[in-house]
Amino acid sequence: MKEKLEALLREGTAKIEATQSEAELQDVKGALLGKQGSITELLKEIPKLDVSLRPEMGKAINNVKSLLTEQIEGRREALKLKASEISPDFDCTVPGFEPKIGGLHPITQMCYDLNDAFRSMGFEVFSGPEITSEYYAFDNLNFPPNHPARESMDTYWLEGHDSGEANDKLCLRPHLTGDSVRYMQTHKPPYRFVYPGRVYRNETTDARHERAFFQYEALIVDKDFTYTAGKVMIKSILSKVFGQDVPVRMRAGFFPFVEPGFEIDMGCLVCGGKGCSVCKHVGWIEIMPGGTPHPNVLRAAGLDPDEYTGFYVNIGLDRLVMMRYGVDDVRLFHSTDLRFLKQFH
Amino acid sequence: MKLSLNWIKDYVKLPDDMDLTRLAYDLTMSTVEVEGAESLAERFDKIIVGEIKEVLPHPNADKLRVCRVDIGEEEIKDIVCGGSNLEAGMKVVVACPGAMVRWHGEGEPVEIKNAKLRGVASFGMICAAVEVGLADLFPAKDDHEIMDVTSFDVPAGTPISKALGLDDIILEIDNKSMTNRPDLWGHYGIAREIAALYDLPLVEFKKYEPDTTCEYDVRIIDSERCPRFIGAKVEGLSIKPSPFEMQSRIWRVGMRPINALVDITNYVMLATGQPTHVYDSNHIIDHIEVRRANEGEILQLLNDKELALSTDDLVISDAEGAVGLAGVMGGAKDSVLPETESVIFECANFESRGIRRTALRYDNRTEASSRYEKAVDPERCDQAVSLAMKLFAELYPNMKVTAYKDLYVNKLQKKEIDVDFDWLDRRLGKRIPQEVVARKLGAMGYDVIFTDKGMHIVVPTWRSTGDVSIKADIMEEVARMYGYENFEATTITTSFDGAINQLDVDLVRKIKEYLAFRSNMQEIFTYPWMTDEFVTALMPSTDGILALATPPAPNERFIRSSLLPNICKAIVKNERNFDEFDIFEEAQIFLDKDYTSNYEGEKLPMQKKHLGCAFVGASDNVTELFRRAKGVIGSMPRYTHMEAFTFEKIEKPYWADETVWLNIMLNGKKIGDLALLSKKAALACGIKVLSAVLVELDMDELVPLKSRTNRYVRMHEFPMNEYDLSFLVDSMIKWDDVYSCVMAKKNELLRDVKFVDEYKGKQIPSGKKSVTIRLIIGSDEKTLTGAEIEQVANSVLKRLSKNISAEIRA
Repeated sequence: MKEKLEALLREGTAKIEATQSEAELQDVKGALLGKQGSITELLKEIPKLDVSLRPEMGKAINNVKSLLTEQIEGRREALKLKASEISPDFDCTVPGFEPKIGGLHPITQMCYDLNDAFRSMGFEVFSGPEITSEYYAFDNLNFPPNHPARESMDTYWLEGHDSGEANDKLCLRPHLTGDSVRYMQTHKPPYRFVYPGRVYRNETTDARHERAFFQYEALIVDKDFTYTAGKVMIKSILSKVFGQDVPVRMRAGFFPFVEPGFEIDMGCLVCGGKGCSVCKHVGWIEIMPGGTPHPNVLRAAGLDPDEYTGFYVNIGLDRLVMMRYGVDDVRLFHSTDLRFLKQFH
Repeated sequence: MKLSLNWIKDYVKLPDDMDLTRLAYDLTMSTVEVEGAESLAERFDKIIVGEIKEVLPHPNADKLRVCRVDIGEEEIKDIVCGGSNLEAGMKVVVACPGAMVRWHGEGEPVEIKNAKLRGVASFGMICAAVEVGLADLFPAKDDHEIMDVTSFDVPAGTPISKALGLDDIILEIDNKSMTNRPDLWGHYGIAREIAALYDLPLVEFKKYEPDTTCEYDVRIIDSERCPRFIGAKVEGLSIKPSPFEMQSRIWRVGMRPINALVDITNYVMLATGQPTHVYDSNHIIDHIEVRRANEGEILQLLNDKELALSTDDLVISDAEGAVGLAGVMGGAKDSVLPETESVIFECANFESRGIRRTALRYDNRTEASSRYEKAVDPERCDQAVSLAMKLFAELYPNMKVTAYKDLYVNKLQKKEIDVDFDWLDRRLGKRIPQEVVARKLGAMGYDVIFTDKGMHIVVPTWRSTGDVSIKADIMEEVARMYGYENFEATTITTSFDGAINQLDVDLVRKIKEYLAFRSNMQEIFTYPWMTDEFVTALMPSTDGILALATPPAPNERFIRSSLLPNICKAIVKNERNFDEFDIFEEAQIFLDKDYTSNYEGEKLPMQKKHLGCAFVGASDNVTELFRRAKGVIGSMPRYTHMEAFTFEKIEKPYWADETVWLNIMLNGKKIGDLALLSKKAALACGIKVLSAVLVELDMDELVPLKSRTNRYVRMHEFPMNEYDLSFLVDSMIKWDDVYSCVMAKKNELLRDVKFVDEYKGKQIPSGKKSVTIRLIIGSDEKTLTGAEIEQVANSVLKRLSKNISAEIRA
């Protein structure tokens, strides 16, 4: 009988542990402790035993009974916590819902990234009018009177405003630099500001050339500023855009509004400077012009060029965004095609 | 521009171990952008001289031959060839397996392989000049003629680059990087930069002294436009090919050899950057004069273009009429002719702007005009004459200069600049030894005289035509020759006097981020010009709209006075791929009025920053579209922290639907519109299926709040109860009517009323609509009982039925 009891405890424990639901557990409980349950059956056999054995056996059986009861209640709690209303065939591999969300144009995104970087260095953000006089587009910027950029094959002049004196001629601004003089004329030095915006050139368009594009220009003007400090601005822009330190070199370049002027190259990130098709096998990519404001520009702004100097950088955001995402056709930025624009959310 | 390294070496002796990559890099960093350096030896790799020993018939083809060719190896090779001029003993060009050639001079280069031609094995290929890119040097009489190099006395097997003296490096310079440097448009100018870079000696040209005392009759009528003219009568000449090396050099840098006389002028230009010209002296009547053209004067150019000139054009003329367009191109009748035996040699200086105007006027830019228009200095004529006379003498040992005149009427003033060392050090951020400064400047031709505090610098003539004139130019010269890379980046220092606070700039960004990130709209960029059909569709007229003088397309003259035409164009474009989308653009618009002056002397038309939006979706649910648009725009002030605006009906936009439109009002002023695009306008735009609610808003009118203005409201202590009511009203009754009816003289327990839904259609009598509203009922003192709530609702119902004849739905 003792063996029987031990076996019952062993089997009972196993059965309880094996249950997977409360209903199942209830069945097991019935089978063990119910009116016709195994324990009950055993208890019924006690009267058949020798009197001297009865108390001990009775105690043993009741002990097992309470052990099993404890186990059943324990199991019941465990099953409750484990219980799920969800059918086991629930498919966790179904995709999540896309959050319904719009987005900024990829060029705006880049522009705001740069604004944040420059603001953190104490730069103001400025913007000027897109229609400008020839005076602000060219004369103030030391462009000689016969400079080809002034011609209608390069610049969009307005009908009825395409001849006469520099103040009478109006065009869609061909670059942002004219706005630097507007800012300087209306603020007090020293200056540090950025003035991003759209510019327009009369060009034949293809995958690399656009008529409307977005530039980002920054200018510092201060006393005894050395042009080598300009490298800091350049590095700030590039590390912000590409998320890593980018090698930079400044080499001779000519633009009317700077003296000295530079072409600024960055190390090719595709090949790490070893040379590849992206950088035309030179390891460097021409990324922006820059330089010290020409004394005539500072004079136009009302400053004494012997006292003040500074540094310009001008970067084409279209080109940078193209590099950031591997976009191969600049015209896509003005395509308004949502299939394209939604890729930059 | 292409440059031959061998040619440069005529003027500056480069060390034998000069690293070409280094040279290209240094030139790029300091002077001009070197875009590439090509080794001609590599281009002609595996292309060698072969000697034909025997020409045998091809067993299977009438037009082909089998040549037995010595290519300098032990074994004589069989090469199948269809050339028309094959002969035993002839030296030919053999492209061995692995060489790159162009079939018949067309297409991409292909690699030569051993092959069987009509059953006969052929080792490589005997080439026509065109197939190895040498047609300019070895012109063929017909398509089947192969290139003959018998006259080059070299053994079979010699690489062709060596046989022809093509063992050269060609540097490709980006022209854009030297538009400001007229002195660099020839080999000599670049040689001077290299000499300065590496402290090497530069070869000088010996000034030419004529050995005749006879003066050629040269007259300069317009000395502003022609500061200098050298004319020389040269006799004892003839038309013949120039020596191979001269032809080869001209060809290597991208021009075509013509004949010895023309080649001399081109060679001189490529060497010195100074254009020259020769006229047949038999055709020049009496004298040469440089004058303005007469109005309508006819001149036929060398390229056969016939021009009717203007008085702004400068011409070279003889006693009878124009013989050449000064600085651009010679005339066809009087330049070098097949029978020419003596010439008038011209080496002149012309004013840059005039040459540019003339070249552009006739769309006739040439190698000469593109150099003149960069402002060549008049003293470069000396170098050019010196070289030209040396070449005439070499090519024509019997030549004689029988008359000569150097008329230099408008002498170029050298620029003089004073530079303080103190200033230079501060601007460079570094002290460069004065000895280095003086040496580098000296090597570039500057005269440097040290003064108390700095230098007095005299700029050489070739840099005095506009390129160098101020001390910043000198600083640049010093810095680039010292090496930009030898300056370390310095840190920027500054003092801050407060945070940057630009509310207007921030507001634009907040609005765009609100639309994109909270309102699920996509920002687009469009062009500033509008397409005519969209202008017509959306605007009553084009009055007040500005136009471009040279538009990108004839139907894109107008620049935007509104953002909506381009937004509608974007709708058309995206309708193909999406059936629901919301887009916006922030950009400037332009109006032909005001012409105010914010800046010195400038009168600009009105320009404003606008916001344009389109909410696009299915046409059968305009209410949903409208509410989407109104919700986004209506909530914008709250989320972007600006003064709130309201919606009113004052003036229907031209493009709007008759009924579904609102004006956006701020402080009593209309600042924008929100409306359904009318069916008519949509069809005119080509919007086929979808409906669009458009919004346009003048962002310059928006007023950012200095700080946030909303205040914290305590949460209710007792429950607020929602109670929905549905009723029927006349379908013309507006939500505004319902709202005012409910909220007027309301019970204090009624806290708010909200629009839930409205319905017209089945089960609703015509002329009526069903409206569901939600009452918010609650007290600040206690929890209301059901009866109390019912009581408030009933009083609302009573008022609704009394004031707007609402019928309660069963």
